[in-house]
Amino acid sequence: MSTRSHRSRVELLQGTLDLLILRTLLLGPAHGHAIVKAIEFRSDEVLLVEQGSLYPALHRLLKRQWITAEEGTSENNRRAKYYRLTAKGRRQLQRETSKWDTLAGAIARVLRPVTGESD
Amino acid sequence: MKRDQRMADLKQEIQDHLQEEIDDNLSRGMSPEESRRAALIKFGSVTRVTEATREVWGFAWLDRLLADLQYALRMLRKTPGFTVVAVLSLALGIGANTAVFSVVYSALLQPLPFRDASRLMVLNERTPNVGIISVAYPDFFDWHAQSHSFSDMAALQPVAFNLSGLTEPEFLNGLAVSPNFLAMLGIRPASGRDFELDEEKPGTAPVVMLSYALWQRRYGADSGVVGKTVLLDGRPFTIVGVLPADFLAPGKTDLLIPLGVWTTNNSAEVHERSDRGDMIVVGRLADGVSQTRATSELQGIAARLAMEYRATNDRVGAVVQPIRDALVGQVRPALLLLLGAVILVLLIACANVANLLLVRGAGRADEMALRIALGATRARIFAQILTESLVLSSLGGLIGFGVAFAGVRALGRLIPAALQHDGGVALNVPVLVFSAGVVVIAALLFGITPALHANRNDLQSALKEGRRCSGAGARHSRTRNILATAEAALAVVLLVGAGLMVKSLYRLVQVDPGFRPDRVLTMTLSLRPDRYSTDAAVRNFWDQVLQRVRELPGVESAAVATNAPMTGNHDRLDITIEGMVPLRPGDYPHPDLHLVSPGYVQTLGIDLLRGRSFTADDNEQASPVAMINQRLANQWFRNEDPVGKRFMFGHPIAKEQSQWLTIVGVVADTKLYGLANQSRLEVYVPFRQIFTAHQMDLLVRSRIDPSALTSGLRGAVYSVDSNQSIAAVATMKELVSNSIATPRMLLLLLGLFGVLAVVLAAVGIYGVIAYSVAQRTREIGIRMALGARRSHVFGMVIGQGVKLAVAGIAIGIPAALGLARLMSSLLYQVSTADAETSSAVVMLVLLVAVAASFVPARRATTVEPMEALR
Repeated sequence: MSTRSHRSRVELLQGTLDLLILRTLLLGPAHGHAIVKAIEFRSDEVLLVEQGSLYPALHRLLKRQWITAEEGTSENNRRAKYYRLTAKGRRQLQRETSKWDTLAGAIARVLRPVTGESD
Repeated sequence: MKRDQRMADLKQEIQDHLQEEIDDNLSRGMSPEESRRAALIKFGSVTRVTEATREVWGFAWLDRLLADLQYALRMLRKTPGFTVVAVLSLALGIGANTAVFSVVYSALLQPLPFRDASRLMVLNERTPNVGIISVAYPDFFDWHAQSHSFSDMAALQPVAFNLSGLTEPEFLNGLAVSPNFLAMLGIRPASGRDFELDEEKPGTAPVVMLSYALWQRRYGADSGVVGKTVLLDGRPFTIVGVLPADFLAPGKTDLLIPLGVWTTNNSAEVHERSDRGDMIVVGRLADGVSQTRATSELQGIAARLAMEYRATNDRVGAVVQPIRDALVGQVRPALLLLLGAVILVLLIACANVANLLLVRGAGRADEMALRIALGATRARIFAQILTESLVLSSLGGLIGFGVAFAGVRALGRLIPAALQHDGGVALNVPVLVFSAGVVVIAALLFGITPALHANRNDLQSALKEGRRCSGAGARHSRTRNILATAEAALAVVLLVGAGLMVKSLYRLVQVDPGFRPDRVLTMTLSLRPDRYSTDAAVRNFWDQVLQRVRELPGVESAAVATNAPMTGNHDRLDITIEGMVPLRPGDYPHPDLHLVSPGYVQTLGIDLLRGRSFTADDNEQASPVAMINQRLANQWFRNEDPVGKRFMFGHPIAKEQSQWLTIVGVVADTKLYGLANQSRLEVYVPFRQIFTAHQMDLLVRSRIDPSALTSGLRGAVYSVDSNQSIAAVATMKELVSNSIATPRMLLLLLGLFGVLAVVLAAVGIYGVIAYSVAQRTREIGIRMALGARRSHVFGMVIGQGVKLAVAGIAIGIPAALGLARLMSSLLYQVSTADAETSSAVVMLVLLVAVAASFVPARRATTVEPMEALR
């Protein structure tokens, strides 16, 4: 077994996968496998994504027209479907990111009170 | 197509993804085998991902439904025996419901073609002696003037005319109506004008409105017919309009005339309160007035009239009934009874199919457990089983609709012709909606229990134990027992109903009509008053017709008469018997009157009990004579011989004006109004004395089949007057049998449903017992190994079937006794708690249960202990 298995891994909150996909696509078009790999890599492999769950999410984003799909070729020289962020998706990402920041900040403040006060 | 493409793309993309992951893994030095495994684990369930993605696309429910449908059809095809039995049971249940509902709909539910029809009431007079009677025209005027409960009121008087001047002479029926009649109903003539208000007054010019059918038939739908004249009874009438095609009236209605025209023609009689034609009154309730309030107001008016005109209106009251009741008449309880019966049949069919499904479901427990283990949700399984039920039920519905289509015409004869507008009973949109509803309800009824059971199966034990009986099996068999018991109970209810009808019809057929209807032909002749204006001319015509008819070969005897039995025609008059104490005006005997020719008693085969019947010598010159029936003799000549006694028509008047009739004979009572109806007081008068009738029935007793005489009779009539129309040709046997058509039809249908119920219940009991024997093979083997005799095992299995039947009987008989009370109005001289019927049903159901358990019981005795235990 590798050392990775000793580190605690976190399951994704409902809906956050959409946000992560959009964020990943901000860097440029990518195919499904690359998106998953990028999320795992950028989160230091803390975030656990069941790879299959990517696809319902991708199709949900397609339906909302936040991303588009096009044919392309992968690094391994294989035919693949590439997903690209649309202008609408970019706006959505901004909105969601600021919302997320606010939320994360608020949760952090609640969970960790300033240490100086308790002394 | 597009969806298939999308699906293929998705699958490809997933494969590509997996390949990328495998490549990554390989490059990290994993073995090909391990690479593939790791990639698949990391990806998760491909099926679930595809499913979830499809959900995103939408229409997933449709895909699921289609898949379930396909699966259901495949499963049904795999078990053809089950499918055929289930579909046929349902087809019969749903078909019977559709057919009966279509009749119920057209008689009781279909909107009547009148504006705001629920506010329309039919008004009649009523005496305690006779019941509902027609309205005297002067009384109508008083009602109209004095009542405030009705915003409008119109009188209708049936009329009849000979239509001549075109091709063949034709006898037409119609109505003389108040001029506001059509407007009150919200009906406008299809062409021409409505009647005008002053056309109610006597002396108005003769005008007529044609029915749509007559206009088509006699005028070829000529659009220029308005303004033309037509000869009715030889008098020219101006056609002012044509009625719309959907015009609905009681009985055959070829034309309408204004009441004023009728009063002009019958001026002498119509203003007498004592003289009732066949007039009925239709009124529209005023806004906010209830039927009850209108009735009590009208009865108040009638009571005042009874005080004011004591001689004619004593004891005469008034009744008000909704127009639909008046049109539907007696058939409502019969239709509701049938509807109840078919609902029971459907319930039995549903119980049966539920039972079959449970048996099949037990066999599919492993399949279901496996599906749940593979990730199917319980909701999904539930939906799938219900889909199967719906498929079964729809197949049943389709075939059932065919059954209904075949049966609906015959059933349509149950309802009065007046209501058969638009070509009678039909499978129309509301009926289609009803049967679709029945299909769905049936599917839920028989599908819910098996669907719930399939889900309740304990996964672990089902998979582990395989086919062995588990806890769920016991629960199954309890449910199946309950269903089989319910079927037996429902069958008992239906059988009791059918049994009561059988007995009732048997009693009816045994009823002595008072005459011998076989080989008697009747037809109605109605003379034109313009051609036969004197009594002598009329009587001469009847004599000549009789003379010609009697000469025909095959004729045994012939007579003419008014108001022959079963024709529905009647005349009734008060009589005063010589020497009787004066009575209240409403209490005088009120017999039915027949004018008859000599030979009437012989032709109809009525028993002459005392004295003599009429001869050719009872004519204008002879002193008036009469015959009375036995009922009149018993009631008014107690302990006396009526022959030789005298009576007169009407109430006592000054002696010198009294015209006495001497009773010369007493004859048996005849059933004038159908076999089920009470016989009434009757008097017979020679057709050459006192009265003259323009319309009479020609009655002929033949030596051969009476219908073979028809053309000869027509020829004989035409040889006397070639312009004479002939109507209502029928054999007396037909008329008698028509008078009990409703109970016969009811018996036929209830009997059919009863047989169906018993067969279905037998199948249900058989299924339960056979399945239980199959499941208990081991147990039976042990019993036999321990020394149980085969006869004992046989008895045990039969006993199990009988137990189901006994439980069904215990529930069914009390239920049947309760429900049978609802059909008491449909029974003739049979108590609803008839012990004979109940015990016959009990015996039958027990026998059926034994028969149904017989085959499984035989199979149980052939169990080889060693094999069963191995």
